[in-house]
Amino acid sequence: MQFFVATDLYDRARVSWVGIERIVMSWFTFTWQNFLFSFLALAFEGLPFVLIGSLISGAIAAFVPSKVITGFLPKNGILATLVSGLLGLCFPICECGIVPVVRRLMDKGLPISCGVTFMLASPIVNPIVAFSTLAAFRAQAPWLNMGTRLTLGYVVAVVAGLVVRGIDPSSILRSGAIKGPTRKRLAFSVSALPDAASAGINASVHEKLVAAIRMACDDFIDTAIYFMAGAAVAATFNTAVDQQIILPLALNPMLATFSMMAFASILTLCSTSDAFIAATFVSFPIFARMAFMVFGPMFDLKLFFLYSVLFKKRFVIGLGIGLFIFIGIICSRVLIYLYAGQAL
Amino acid sequence: MRAKLCSVLNGVTLIGLGVVLLDFYFTGRLDQYLHPQFRPWTLAGGIVFCLAGVIYAGSKATECCVEGECVHRNSNSLLRSALAFCVLFLPLAAGVALSKDSYDQHAVLNRGFVEDMSTLPGHSGVSVQKPSNDPAIPPQALGADNDERATEPLPQDTPNDQSDPNGPVPADQANPNVPSPNDQSSAQYLPRAVDGNVALEVTDLLYGEAEESLRKMFSDKTVEVVGQYLPGSDANQFKLVRMFIVCCAADARPIAVPVQVSGPISVTEMGWVKVIGKATYAKNGDRVHVILRADKVEPTDPPAEAMLY
Repeated sequence: MQFFVATDLYDRARVSWVGIERIVMSWFTFTWQNFLFSFLALAFEGLPFVLIGSLISGAIAAFVPSKVITGFLPKNGILATLVSGLLGLCFPICECGIVPVVRRLMDKGLPISCGVTFMLASPIVNPIVAFSTLAAFRAQAPWLNMGTRLTLGYVVAVVAGLVVRGIDPSSILRSGAIKGPTRKRLAFSVSALPDAASAGINASVHEKLVAAIRMACDDFIDTAIYFMAGAAVAATFNTAVDQQIILPLALNPMLATFSMMAFASILTLCSTSDAFIAATFVSFPIFARMAFMVFGPMFDLKLFFLYSVLFKKRFVIGLGIGLFIFIGIICSRVLIYLYAGQAL
Repeated sequence: MRAKLCSVLNGVTLIGLGVVLLDFYFTGRLDQYLHPQFRPWTLAGGIVFCLAGVIYAGSKATECCVEGECVHRNSNSLLRSALAFCVLFLPLAAGVALSKDSYDQHAVLNRGFVEDMSTLPGHSGVSVQKPSNDPAIPPQALGADNDERATEPLPQDTPNDQSDPNGPVPADQANPNVPSPNDQSSAQYLPRAVDGNVALEVTDLLYGEAEESLRKMFSDKTVEVVGQYLPGSDANQFKLVRMFIVCCAADARPIAVPVQVSGPISVTEMGWVKVIGKATYAKNGDRVHVILRADKVEPTDPPAEAMLY
């Protein structure tokens, strides 16, 4: 590893608080200029959507009674999970804003399996993503690719939800994320959630509005801290790592699929626009690009941190590995036949 | 007292976030970071952050919960508020002062250049679709693309043409069905710089690699192209680089045109330059590649939209 100190006086002044301008290796070249540019771009793009999710979360907390949340789902757990995977069609939220919403819905009584299904499916199974996928692949079997993406996203999310049904919630949720006796927790850990009655049935509209805004702000702070950590990691990978090193991976179907998923987790793109990026990786087979579009919105670097707001680290890591393997196998072993004969 | 302090600090953090977003929006710096479709969200986000911050700082902590039980029991933690301030506000505030609003050559080289323009979003593979921010070549000028006869391959592009497979592609003669490069009906639509040269984007020249009609239009004309200077392997060549984004600068992909110059030039790496010269298209195997032969290279101000999309 070599260290290069700024030679330009202007640069030296700008980075004097850092001390080192850039770190260079054959495949890794870090500069503050590139990091800041990419990091700020991710922040400017993502923070408004985290805010939207938090505002929805605050509104749900203050204005939506628990019985509304639990009342519209089928009583049967499996059916409820199946329905949860489709909620994004009428409740489209991208992955940046989904965590505070899911957290609030679970607080209001949404079963964890339904919450996990909604959390994983909503960034994919929604009309905005359907439209953007159609547009991005308009010269590459658009309807097939859009249908495959939404179907696969739904199936994977439902399977994940059904698997979670069999797991003890206390082993999944972070301490304080579920109702019950509170314990002394780290100051910046997820907030304890109240009994549903605290939503304040008898409060005035003004009180509810102020409460909704305060809760939205606190949700935002809880979530955005993790979002920024993810954006920082992603910005480093995006700008410092030589991306040419991944191209040889495109030659092997299995390697291509898993490397595209790894790439998706590093790029941390928004699900509403990642299809445009996926469509450009023409050196990779279409099923590998499909893995990119299904895995990326479900699990990437920023989501790893965001999910940690709600779930225990062990579960988040297990979820990531499970999705990685499951989606990888489906794409490289099943979709390869679906796309056989398609010149994609 | 501590609760009030936390409320104020959290409110300041949110207001600070809002101010940074609004600053980038109203100073125009945001244009370097985001696709136009995302910019209104940043404006709206900035306004909402400021309003929410004021309400948060001004309301009592107990109002967090309507009936007295606080939803966010850690909202009164000074450590949490300080952490939020440091993680959410300080990096963005540092960005206001420290960010140069562009990548240097390391990011460009790490990302690798787009080799095939047809892989970029917005290219249908049938006809040219310009990046939406700069319609240098309006559709009317591409009338030849809508004419079936014009899509017939020129003799020099057919496999039977073995005369000089690597030589320059003649841009005229050959096919009488294709509009002449001097055809005023097409040429009149070409955008002009103040000095009368044809003002093109890097993307126009690269799309010309795949579009015969564009090659014909550009040939024999002095073109003017603005981009960032990336040094080449020797003093007589460099790359003229632009970044292509889909949603934000984090997904930017470099596209470049090689430029040949007669001698060394003095320009800073990734500095903005205006190149005036002629575009030459040469066959290399199955593909046509563009080279811009520069008559003049001079530093210039960055364009209003530094990114292409």
